[in-house]
Amino acid sequence: MSRRLDALASMRTVLAAPRDGVASTASRMLRSIVRVLFPWLVVVLVWEAAARAGYVNVTLFPPPSHFIRYVIENDFRFGIGPQGVTMWASILSSLLRVLVGLALGFVAALATGLLLSTWPAGRNFIMPLLQGLAPIAPIAWIPLGIVLFGVGNKTAIFIVFVGVFFVLTIATTVAVSSVDQKLIKSARTLGASGPQIWTTVVLPAVLPQVFTLLRINFFGAWMAVLAAEMVGLKNGLGAIIIMGREMFDTDLILVGMCLIGACGYAVDSLLLAIQRSVLWWKEPT
Amino acid sequence: MTLLKAVQITKVWEGARGLSVKALDNVSVEADNGAFVAILGPSGCGKSTLLEIIAGLEAPTTGDVRMDGRTVTEASPERCMVFQDLCLFPWLSVFDNVAFGLRRRGIARAELKERVDEVLDRVGLSRFAGHFPHQLSGGMKQRVAIARALVQKPRLLLMDEPFAALDFQTRVLMQHFLLEVWESFGTTIMFVTHHIDEAILLADTVYVMSAGPGRIVDCVDIELPRPRSYTTDAFNQYRVALTEQMEREVMRTYQPLAAAE
Repeated sequence: MSRRLDALASMRTVLAAPRDGVASTASRMLRSIVRVLFPWLVVVLVWEAAARAGYVNVTLFPPPSHFIRYVIENDFRFGIGPQGVTMWASILSSLLRVLVGLALGFVAALATGLLLSTWPAGRNFIMPLLQGLAPIAPIAWIPLGIVLFGVGNKTAIFIVFVGVFFVLTIATTVAVSSVDQKLIKSARTLGASGPQIWTTVVLPAVLPQVFTLLRINFFGAWMAVLAAEMVGLKNGLGAIIIMGREMFDTDLILVGMCLIGACGYAVDSLLLAIQRSVLWWKEPT
Repeated sequence: MTLLKAVQITKVWEGARGLSVKALDNVSVEADNGAFVAILGPSGCGKSTLLEIIAGLEAPTTGDVRMDGRTVTEASPERCMVFQDLCLFPWLSVFDNVAFGLRRRGIARAELKERVDEVLDRVGLSRFAGHFPHQLSGGMKQRVAIARALVQKPRLLLMDEPFAALDFQTRVLMQHFLLEVWESFGTTIMFVTHHIDEAILLADTVYVMSAGPGRIVDCVDIELPRPRSYTTDAFNQYRVALTEQMEREVMRTYQPLAAAE
């Protein structure tokens, strides 16, 4: 309990660290939102204008005003009868799959990477295996996942997991070997024991680097989940696109694509925000 | 009374393909209780290695280090070490950096806070307890590193060129700060440096080392009253003597281009 209070207290000092005032933070956030949305606004306006002017076929390539109206008129539900799903349920299932897979992969990779770093024989045996498995794209794991775990969440989580686990385990061992020896020596002369050095020096020293790679590998994992939803899983955002194709409904296809982009962007922003607030001591790249 | 004795230390680094380098050759140094000892030598003379052996971070190839007559076998907060650079934990606040060693040893919260607050107060960092290392100047970072060592109540403070990366003005301030700390805490200090002036200003005893392999070539007692000043004649005499000696040692290993013909 006191440990948790400790952690909370140190987080509060981080947040309260005198970097800039509240007012300037708010106005900076507003400015960055505008900076992100403005290019999209331009694209949407051009698209709309082209559709109004008759340059694009509204049925084959509907503009946002068209497919957004479609979503609202359908009360945020897609498909018919028992196959119907709500938009929110689709977003939720895709996001949960990718977040659970990322979290499991991240924790497992950190644990495995630290363990291998302390155990040279195991490292020599397992590293070649990891180096052979890491280049297999997450998408390539989909058929095996479906065979092993059937059609469901387990398969999607498995795909995200293998998509990040091998790469991050290798990254963790590399990061561990590049930790500044003087930090470790300082900790030793301050009386830290062997295990304490791993948990209180090496782990915090490697976290920012490994987390950065998690962010980079998130996109691959996100694409793999959507591909899995398109070829097998029958629900989630990927399934909406396939439903659109089967019903020759271009509105639905474009809605699916827009949601995938927006959700992917949101998750990446979330990861960046986590990195900035919890792992702030190294500027994210 | 002798607190620490390093006796006939030799260190050979075994490199790849049978290459080995002798870093230290039969080096003996000692420090009395409460003394300020400087080890003066050029870069690469093995003085950092010597300090790490004394700290218990490295094992000597032959010879041994004895503290109170007992052989040193591992690192201990009794002999705390302060490095030149990057030694603060960037993810911890000033308070948590200073508390690091006490936390690892399971010191109770109330006592821990009291000890850390006291040390921060004595080194003039109380207002910065919540700051993080990247928000501090170079001199302040060094003060945190020294506070982090002092809070352990070490009997011997080992310092590996702690002020080498600082500019002249900051270095002078830090030297005076260190002398104040030494006088008020009564800790024995062993200080490695390549600055002749710094060694004369700070130390009771200066060991002069030469490089390749590292050997002790002289041991000079600095008999100047404190506080000392860089600009007195007596100071200058020590400066001239030590500079001549170091020059001789450096030139001994220097081979002029003409000789190669």
